[in-house]
Amino acid sequence: MALARFLDERMWRLARSGRAHFAVPCSGHEAVGAGYAFALRAGFDFVAPHYRDLTAMLVLGLTPREVMLHFFGRAADPCSAGRQPYAHWGCSRLRIISLQGPQPNHVTHAVGVAWGSRLLGEDSVTWISFGDGGAQKGEVHEAMNFAAIHRLPCVFCVENNGYTQSVPAALETAVPTLISRAAGYGIPGRALDGMDVDAVHAVAVEAIARARAGEGPTLVEARCYRYLPNTSNDDDTRYRSREEVDNWRERDPVMLLRAKLGSALADAIDEEAITTAADAAEWAEAQRPPDPSGVLEHTYA
Amino acid sequence: MRELTVVEAVREALEQEMERDSRVVLLGEDIGRLGGVFRATDGLLDRFGPQRVVDSPMAELGIAGIAVGLAMRGLRPVAEIQFADFIHAAADHLIGEAAKVRYRTAGDWTCPMVVRTAYGGGFRGGPYHSQSVEAFFAHVPGLKVVSPATPSDAKGLLTSAIRDPDPVIVLEHKLTYRAIKGPVPEGEYLVPIGSGSVARKGSDVTIVSYGMMLHESLAAAELLAAEALEAEVIDLRTLLPIDFHVVLDSVRRTGRLCVVHEDTRTMGLGAEVAAVISERAMEQLIAPPVRLTMPDVGGIPVADPLEDALIPNRQAIVEAVRSLVHRRAWTHSRPLTFDPSIPEATSVVEVTVEVVKLHALLEAVSRACGEFPNLNAEFAWDGIRLHPQVRLAVDLGPLSPPSAEGTFTVIDYGPGSSRLGIPSVRPGQTAALRVGAPINGQVWLALTVDHRAVDGADAGRFLNRVKQLMEQ
Repeated sequence: MALARFLDERMWRLARSGRAHFAVPCSGHEAVGAGYAFALRAGFDFVAPHYRDLTAMLVLGLTPREVMLHFFGRAADPCSAGRQPYAHWGCSRLRIISLQGPQPNHVTHAVGVAWGSRLLGEDSVTWISFGDGGAQKGEVHEAMNFAAIHRLPCVFCVENNGYTQSVPAALETAVPTLISRAAGYGIPGRALDGMDVDAVHAVAVEAIARARAGEGPTLVEARCYRYLPNTSNDDDTRYRSREEVDNWRERDPVMLLRAKLGSALADAIDEEAITTAADAAEWAEAQRPPDPSGVLEHTYA
Repeated sequence: MRELTVVEAVREALEQEMERDSRVVLLGEDIGRLGGVFRATDGLLDRFGPQRVVDSPMAELGIAGIAVGLAMRGLRPVAEIQFADFIHAAADHLIGEAAKVRYRTAGDWTCPMVVRTAYGGGFRGGPYHSQSVEAFFAHVPGLKVVSPATPSDAKGLLTSAIRDPDPVIVLEHKLTYRAIKGPVPEGEYLVPIGSGSVARKGSDVTIVSYGMMLHESLAAAELLAAEALEAEVIDLRTLLPIDFHVVLDSVRRTGRLCVVHEDTRTMGLGAEVAAVISERAMEQLIAPPVRLTMPDVGGIPVADPLEDALIPNRQAIVEAVRSLVHRRAWTHSRPLTFDPSIPEATSVVEVTVEVVKLHALLEAVSRACGEFPNLNAEFAWDGIRLHPQVRLAVDLGPLSPPSAEGTFTVIDYGPGSSRLGIPSVRPGQTAALRVGAPINGQVWLALTVDHRAVDGADAGRFLNRVKQLMEQ
């Protein structure tokens, strides 16, 4: 989580200073990603991640240097070889399902992946994360309905940070908690504190076990907060107060984890994370960009 | 060979591929117990079970998106969208996802899925059960689009689509399902994606079509044959990528192109075919390409006379081809009809006849050619070669262009043409005669000769001999 935070801050500065095109902050979502990723069997279970799940990507096996290759759009970018902007995760080797631009189409793909795993006779589970904004889209209903009907081995996780870019939750939904929708599909719903990594992990373990046992999907709602603007192209001062942001700093998931670890251990972790993040950025920026001669490749097999 | 309908051939392809590859699964509305509203999946639920043949909720976007996920996971989903009119709801996952998965991951993830859907009008389905959707999807790099017209192609193309490493949209014209029956190979049968076929040979015009319009085009070709017009009919079979090789090969022989489709006109497939032909075969075109399509109309109405007024049919195709044959490109010069290196001289004589009777004219010219052998000859640098026989090449206008054969050319464009026209000497000949339109009992004959073989005195004598014979 500390590594994700330092990578995040570094990417933010690089994008704002014009050395990269686009940053998508994860700060405030670290506990969600870490909580569910540590509950999965990395490389065996499938993940359709939210674009703010940098922490989960690191836990599942993307290295900081690989993250930065993706961020800078270098030839060796493992997610897209320079074809997609940052935070469009994907890596078949790690079973991270390719993430697209329009949110949250990957929810439906992941339901197909979960069904496919069952058809192939494999007991892998598919974890599906998306935002509270994405949760309002019609296709999420289609996907959850299908998964519930067939008791597919998957978990739906809404990372609810209270905003769809600038639009607050009150204009997204009339219900106070999105897990009330679970009843409409006949599946369990679990709301939890998404700033507390242990709380996320405990619920994730339970939901994943349920999915693996063939009992079907669970809808999880992790309440969290995004500290930085939506992306490096956003200005969040137009739609939320600094007081609100500062109030949420009291519940900063990285700080909460530091408190659990004790400052000596936490400081040591931070020190290593800062060095790792700096090395990853410096190394990746110096790597070769994609060769334009290949720009037409991979449209077809 | 036993015969099947198109829908039976589709069903057989699905069954054989499911038998062959356990990764093939079916997903769609009413495809299970009912066997599909067109019965394309009849019996497959009983045969392969509810894990591989799944009746989906009525949710086209979900069907397409789940199929994308299945394909990314390594399965071979075949999704059915019941009517092509409903595929717009699924377009985000077809255009935005299936088509881009391979590219956006540089091949790390792939999407080998098939979407079958029933399209096309003519069965009184109204605006939402009759549409043609090919142009939307044939515009999307990353997709492949096929549209079989015959039972054997329906089986062969669907089999190839299921085995293809990329997403394929299979457009099945719903009228062909039961109306079109034909021989289908029993065992494994593949038709390669991206290959068109010549459905009928012909030499005068190329009609390019697919789906149900192929059958209308073939019927039109038979009607045209009765008018001595031989149409070559191309079945595209695959709409993305189009087999331009087979189209170009045909148009280079016929010089005329007519594209027929049931989809609407603007930005349609016909525009693409006409554009490519214009880019790559302009020199061979006798006339500008013609498109015969559904007009740009807001929907396909249900009432019989309204729908019938819109959908192209064999009669409309016949008329389009007739109009095409009467047109000529402004820059056209037919190969072998003109050689600018021949030094020409033209003489004119006035003949007194009320009407020009073609057989009398040809007889007069034949006799005169026999009497003046230099005008029935060919110039060569080592001497003048006299042709042993008189064989007249007769040009009666765009409907009957002259054959390349012949030892002397006679041009008669009839009463509607100009009074005086100057003919050109064709390679291999030394003279050509053009008959003008008769006016007040007078006809002007213009004779052009190759001056290297025929001098002016002989040309004048020849003309006067023809005049004399015609006035007898």
